[in-house]
Amino acid sequence: MDKKTDEFRKRLLETFRIEAGEHVRAISTGLMELEKEPAGEKQAKLVETVFREAHSLKGAARSVNLPDIESLCQALEGVFAALKRQEIFLNLALLDLLHQTVDGIAILTPYAEMNQAKPGQPHTGDLVRQLDKAAKGLPMPKKPENPVPRPDVEAPLMKTDMVRIPTTKLDPLLLQAEEMIQVKIAGNQRAMELQEINSAIALWKTESDKWKSRRFSAAEWNELLEWNEVRLSALQNQVAATMTAVKQDQRVLKRAVDDHLEAMKELLMFPVGSLVEILPKLARDLARAQGKEVELTIQGADIEIDKRILEELKDPLIHLVRNCVDHGIKKPEERTREGKPPCGAIRLNFVAKDNRQMEISIADDGSGVDLNKVRAAAAKLGLRQTAAEKKPDLQETLQLIFYSGISSSPIITDISGRGLGLAIVREKVEKLGGTVSVESQTDVGTTFQFLLPMTLATFKGILVQVRECMFVLPAINVERVLRVREEDIKTVENRETIQLDGQILAMARLRDTLELPAWKNGLAWKKAPGQPEASTMPVIILTSEKKRMAFLVDEVMQEQEVLVKGLGAQLKRVRNIAGATVLGNGRVVPVLNVHDLMKSAVGSAAVARKETVTGATSVKTGRILVAEDSITSRTLLKNILETAGYQVATAVDGTDAFTQLRSNEFDLLVSDVDMPRMNGFELTTKIRADKKLGELVVVLVTALESRQDKERGIEAGANAYIVKSSFDQSNLLEVIRRFL
Amino acid sequence: MKQEQLMQNKDSILKARARTLAQEPEQALAARSFIEITEFRLTSETYGIESSFVREVYPLKDFTPLPGMPSFVLGIVNIHGQILSIVDLKKFFNLPEKGLGEFNKVIILHNERMEFGILADVILGTRSVPLGAIQAAPPTITGIGAEYLKGVTGERVIVLDAEKILNDEKIIVSQNTE
Repeated sequence: MDKKTDEFRKRLLETFRIEAGEHVRAISTGLMELEKEPAGEKQAKLVETVFREAHSLKGAARSVNLPDIESLCQALEGVFAALKRQEIFLNLALLDLLHQTVDGIAILTPYAEMNQAKPGQPHTGDLVRQLDKAAKGLPMPKKPENPVPRPDVEAPLMKTDMVRIPTTKLDPLLLQAEEMIQVKIAGNQRAMELQEINSAIALWKTESDKWKSRRFSAAEWNELLEWNEVRLSALQNQVAATMTAVKQDQRVLKRAVDDHLEAMKELLMFPVGSLVEILPKLARDLARAQGKEVELTIQGADIEIDKRILEELKDPLIHLVRNCVDHGIKKPEERTREGKPPCGAIRLNFVAKDNRQMEISIADDGSGVDLNKVRAAAAKLGLRQTAAEKKPDLQETLQLIFYSGISSSPIITDISGRGLGLAIVREKVEKLGGTVSVESQTDVGTTFQFLLPMTLATFKGILVQVRECMFVLPAINVERVLRVREEDIKTVENRETIQLDGQILAMARLRDTLELPAWKNGLAWKKAPGQPEASTMPVIILTSEKKRMAFLVDEVMQEQEVLVKGLGAQLKRVRNIAGATVLGNGRVVPVLNVHDLMKSAVGSAAVARKETVTGATSVKTGRILVAEDSITSRTLLKNILETAGYQVATAVDGTDAFTQLRSNEFDLLVSDVDMPRMNGFELTTKIRADKKLGELVVVLVTALESRQDKERGIEAGANAYIVKSSFDQSNLLEVIRRFL
Repeated sequence: MKQEQLMQNKDSILKARARTLAQEPEQALAARSFIEITEFRLTSETYGIESSFVREVYPLKDFTPLPGMPSFVLGIVNIHGQILSIVDLKKFFNLPEKGLGEFNKVIILHNERMEFGILADVILGTRSVPLGAIQAAPPTITGIGAEYLKGVTGERVIVLDAEKILNDEKIIVSQNTE
C-alpha cells in the first residue's frame, strides 16, 4: 500500500475511533437504563435506541473494513431485534453478555489500526455464537465464576484529543479575533506616528546645531526663540495626539483581550456529565465481578466546569468509586442480614457553590471506614505518634487514610487496597486548588467530599518572599497571617514553636524547609542605612487535612488571583512545589504544595538548626557586587561567591551597578565588560573618577581575550582581569581572596 | 496546418510541464540522506542538534530557580504563557565547568512526550548535513557519553542525539515525598 492510501486509511480509522466511542457509550448507557426499566413501553423505546446505535456502528465498521467489530454488532442487532419482537426477554445473564460484547467492541476499537493480537482481546467468535443463541431464546451457558479481569475499557475510548464545541460558542470567538485586526493596524499607525515625531526631533536637532557656531544679534535671538517655540508646540501637538490615540487603542485592546479570554474560558467549560457518564457502568461491572450489586446515581451532571479540571478529576473519581465498591459495599446476603437493601447505593452529587466553587460528594451506604484497621496500618508505618494514638480522635484517624501505604483492606485486590489511591486522590485535588475531606459512620456509610474551583483562574494565592525568592501559597491553605517577635519563638524538644490563641503550634522557617542556600545574613545590609531591623517577623499559619503549622517567612506581600500552571513534562513531580504562576509583571513564581511543606518541615527542622549555627561562623566579610547582563552567568557568579561566604548583590549593567555602588557599601566589584548602556571599561573609569568609590576593588571578567583589551582594562583602572574562556571558580575566588 | 502544428506543440509542452510537476519533489529524496541541524555554541564547543526536535529558540532574559532541584535544572521560564524547564546540558553531561559563557539563549526541544529548553550561548543557524558526513565520535573528543551522540561532522561539530536526550528517563525529575 503506498503512503498516501495509508495516510488516508489512518485518518478514516481515527474518525471511526471517535464515532465508535460515541456509539459504544450510548449503547452502554442504554443497557444500564434497561437494567432498571421494567418491561413496558419505555423499555421498548430504549431497546429501539440501542438497536439503532448498534446498527449505525455496524455500518461504520463495515465502511472501514473491520469485520470483527462488524460481526459483533450484527450479533448484537440480532439480540435487540429479538427483544423488540418480544421473542426473548431481558435477564441479568443476558445483560452481562451484552455488556461483555460492548466492552469487547470498545477494546477492539482503539487497536483498529493495528493488525496484530491485542491485549485482552475478546474471542469474537465465542461472543457471536453466544449472542446468536441468546437471540434464538436458547438457554445461555453458565458464566464462569470469576470473569477474567478486563483492562480499563473506558480509558482508551475517553482518550481523544478532540472535543465537540457548539458553533454558537465559536462564532463570537471569530468575531473577536477579527476585531483584533483593527488593533494590529492601529499599532502600525502609532509606530509610524512615533517615527515621524522622532524624525522631527532629529531634524530640529541638526538645524539647531547650525546656530551653535554663530554670534547673534538681538533680532536673531528673537527669531531663534520664535523658531524653537513653533517647533516645540508642533511637536507637543503631535505627541499629544499620539498619546490620546494610544490610550484609545489601549482601551480597545484591553476589552478585546478580556473578552477573548473570557470567551476562551467559556469554551473550555464542559458539563460534568461528559466525564461521569462512564461511572455507573464502571460501578456495575466492578460490583458484578465481586458478586455484589451496586447502583450509582448522579445528580447535578449538567453543571459546567473547566475542561482542564474535569480531566484531572477523572482519576480521583474512578478511584473513589472503586473504593466504595471494594471497601464500602458488602455482598447482598450480608447487606440483607444488616437490614439494608441488597443493592448498594453510591450517590455522586455535584453542587455549584457561590464563589465559582463546586462541591462534589460521593457517598455510599456501606460499612464505613474501619477505624481500627486504619490505626493498625498507621502504626505499622510509624505514623502512630502523630496524634491518632494519644487521642484517637475520629477526624484525625480518618485523615490518616489519605496517607500512602494505609489501606484498611486486608488483601490487595486488583481494584484497590494498595494504600496508594487516596493519597493520589488528595494530591490531585489539592493541585487543582481544592480540598478533600471524608466522613464515615460505621455500618451507615462513607462520604468523600471535594471542594473545587470551577475554573482554573479563580485560584487565590498569597504571595510571600523568602530570601530573594517569591512563592505563592494557596489561600485555601492559609488560615491567617500574623507577626511574632523572636522571643515569642520557643524551642520544645529541639523544634521551634509559637503560641496562638493559647495553643502551642509547631513552627518552621520556610527558608530551611525549602533548603534555600544557607548563606549570608545578607538582608540587613541591603536595607538603607538608618532603617531599623524589623523587630517582628511575619508568620503564616497553614492548614492541610485539618493539621496546622506555622511558617516563618521574610515578607508577606499580597493576596491575588493566580492561574496555576504545570511545570512542564520534564519536571514530573517536584517536592514542595505544586506548579507555577505568572505574575502581572511577567515574573514566574512557584506555587507551593502545603501538604509537602508540612512533611518536609518535620524532616528538615533538626538539620536546619544545626546549619544556622555553623553557617554563621563561615560567613566571610566581604560585600561584592556582580555586574553582568546575562542572567545565567550572573546567577552562576553569585552562587559561587555566596557559597564561598561572601555577601553578594547583583546588577544587570554598568549603569545599574554604578547606582547601586553609590547607594550601598561594597568592598569589591566583579563586572562583565560587554554590557548594554554602560560597559565594564566605562564603569571602571567612572568609579575611579568618583570621590567616594575611587578605592573600590574592580575585577573585570570578559570574553575579550586580546592584549589590547587587557591593557585597556588596566588603563581604566581595573585591579584584575579574568578571561571568560579560562574561567573557573577557583581562579575567580583566588583573585578575590587576594584583595579581601 | 501551421496553426495545428502550433497547437500540437503547445499540447506537448503543457504535457511535459505537467509531467515535471507530477514528479515527486527532489527534496523528498534528498531528505533521506540529509538531516537539518541547528548549530549552537556552548562555552567553547560547537554543537548541533536535529532541527526537527527544535520547537523554537528563545532569548533567556530571566528565569525562576526552584528549590531542591538537581543541578542540571536551571529553573523555569514562561514562554508564550507556558511554563517550561531549562536544562543545562553541561551539568547533565557532567562536563567540566571550565569557562563562563553568555547563556543568553534557550533552545526548546520537544517530541510528542517531552518538552524542555536547553541553554546555549550563541545560535549559529541551521544547515543540512549529509548523513554520511557524520562519523562516530572518537571517545576522547568530548566528555559526553556516546549514547547521547549522533556523531561528529567533518567541521568538528558535535551532533547531539535529541531523541535520546528527550527520551532519557534520567532527565525527568520525579521526587517522591511519600
